Amino acid sequence: MTLDVKEPRTDGAAAQSPGSRKAGPRKPQRGSRPGGSSIDAQRKKLLVPFVGPAFVLYTVLFIVPALGAVWISLHKWAGSGPMKFVGLDNYGRIFRDQLFLLSFGNTLLLLFVVGTAIFVLAFALTLVLRDMAGKKIARNVIFFPHLINALVFGVLAGFIFNPGGMVNSLLAPLGVTDPPKWLAQDNIFPLIMVTLVCTTTGYFTTILMAGVDRIPPYYYEDCALAGASAFQRLRYVILPLTWDVFGTCAVLWTISSVKIFEIVWVFGGSSGAGVPPTQSWTAAVYTYVNAFSGQSTPAYGAATASAVLSLALISVLVVLLRRAMRRDAVEF
Amino acid sequence: MSEYKLQGSMTATRRRGRRGVSPALRGERSVLRGIGVALLWLVVAISIAALVWMVAQAFRDTRDILDDPWHVPSSLDFGNFVRAWTVGDFAVATWNSLMTTVVSSVLTVAIAAPCSYYLSRVDNRLTRGLSLYFILGLGIPAQVILIPLFVMLNKVYLTDSIIGLNLVYIGVSMPFTVFLLTAFFRSLPLEMEEAAALDGTTAFGTFWRITLPLAKGGILTAFILQVISHWNETLLALTLLQSTEKYTLPVALISFVQQQTYSGADWGGLFAGLVIVVLPMLIIYVWLGRRLTEGLTLGMGK
Repeated sequence: MTLDVKEPRTDGAAAQSPGSRKAGPRKPQRGSRPGGSSIDAQRKKLLVPFVGPAFVLYTVLFIVPALGAVWISLHKWAGSGPMKFVGLDNYGRIFRDQLFLLSFGNTLLLLFVVGTAIFVLAFALTLVLRDMAGKKIARNVIFFPHLINALVFGVLAGFIFNPGGMVNSLLAPLGVTDPPKWLAQDNIFPLIMVTLVCTTTGYFTTILMAGVDRIPPYYYEDCALAGASAFQRLRYVILPLTWDVFGTCAVLWTISSVKIFEIVWVFGGSSGAGVPPTQSWTAAVYTYVNAFSGQSTPAYGAATASAVLSLALISVLVVLLRRAMRRDAVEF
Repeated sequence: MSEYKLQGSMTATRRRGRRGVSPALRGERSVLRGIGVALLWLVVAISIAALVWMVAQAFRDTRDILDDPWHVPSSLDFGNFVRAWTVGDFAVATWNSLMTTVVSSVLTVAIAAPCSYYLSRVDNRLTRGLSLYFILGLGIPAQVILIPLFVMLNKVYLTDSIIGLNLVYIGVSMPFTVFLLTAFFRSLPLEMEEAAALDGTTAFGTFWRITLPLAKGGILTAFILQVISHWNETLLALTLLQSTEKYTLPVALISFVQQQTYSGADWGGLFAGLVIVVLPMLIIYVWLGRRLTEGLTLGMGK
């Protein structure tokens, strides 16, 4: 579960200009210099007042609940009353639960299918944008959806894909008299996937562009002198030099895709009792419904077991990604 | 200015590159590229149009919207906003969201900045371990801590409370903010701090009077990123808040959507609600997007 030191920085810089992505030196030997000046000694005394509050808040409100989740997942518990220790029973139970398998499968679909689509599109966009006129405007516009709550897209989709809605009225003149039922329970999830691709690609394009913009132009000139084709330039210059940015993006998407909740929750205006149709559930929705929907006795054990499995999925994938993406960083 | 130069040299490169490429490849590439550029501008145009369209619909009657969603409003009718504001409880929700966002973002940055400073300036086994400990949180999705947090806060009567939600947001934002700011402080030059120390400033004084002013850009960036994420946060708020007068905007929007399954669709009110959620983000993006860039490049450019 060790993320790269640079990763969150990219996120921050993504909102900024590409040129700003020059991170500081990796592990600067700061502070503790041989001979230790008095300011270093003084600084060290600040440990408790400086780090203390952040440490306490983070531990109490984040790490303790995370450990608590593992603990609860080993119990049968309805939220109140006694907790009964059942060991790994909850995990066995959710794996026999059709609903959980469906939800987890959907999460995997988001992670891999939507992820692949986003990456292919984002990379293509990056290549188009690289030396396009007006690239700043285009980039700023396609980044903006990242700042909007996904709820908004879910609600809008409900309006656009209504039986009498805009898509059908667009299709009618084209001779489509019998358009598919967009918001039928089986069709919602594919629609969610498409919506996510549309709204997330811009964000990753921005990050990738920050990486591509760092490549100094003399590499391209070298390519031209050596007579490299566009494909060769892509293969031997652009890809190797942006490889670490790709790794960062993959990790970011892994983490954020497993959390996807709100767009599913309201997609298409949500049906009936406020719980979306089971065909479109993700692991996060499964956790929430099992604990808080108020429809049946809350099953905190099963709900947290599902959440802990999501965490395990992230951990495994991040470790694998880091291993797969590990190469000698190209210094330039 | 250097930007222009860069682009200029790049186009020159491309021209030269084209000459070296076989004619077949050259043709294919330019067609593909042309399509790509056209598609990209189409996407950009659609995005802007969609945003304008959404804002425009918020000023129209529900029946008008359903009759012909392609039209622009004939007059500015604030009826939807008034209805969303009063009936849909968006007034209270907006206030709650605003309070939560501002308070938790300010406190997050205020608490994370000293911590990041320490972690960036003192390098020993303890701080390396602590840095790792903070990174750990970046990989934990919100649904994992959802239930235990609810149970814990319930014990101390902090569920269904804006204070509780603020605390949770601060705790949850720590990993990212500490991380961003640590990297930022590392990039700042040490010389000024050393000079201040030679002049007899205390360690705290150097932080307060030298480093913090230097780090204004990075801190502003961290703050804005927190504002954006707290304004949009949905899952935790949905879980921790139960009564209508405590709802934040996303939760109010969800409950508004769900009411409609019973009372019939009020698309006018709904569009008004969407605009209330989206517009502040647009304003921040347009207003601070560039200043943020400048702030960050000033600090990082060295």
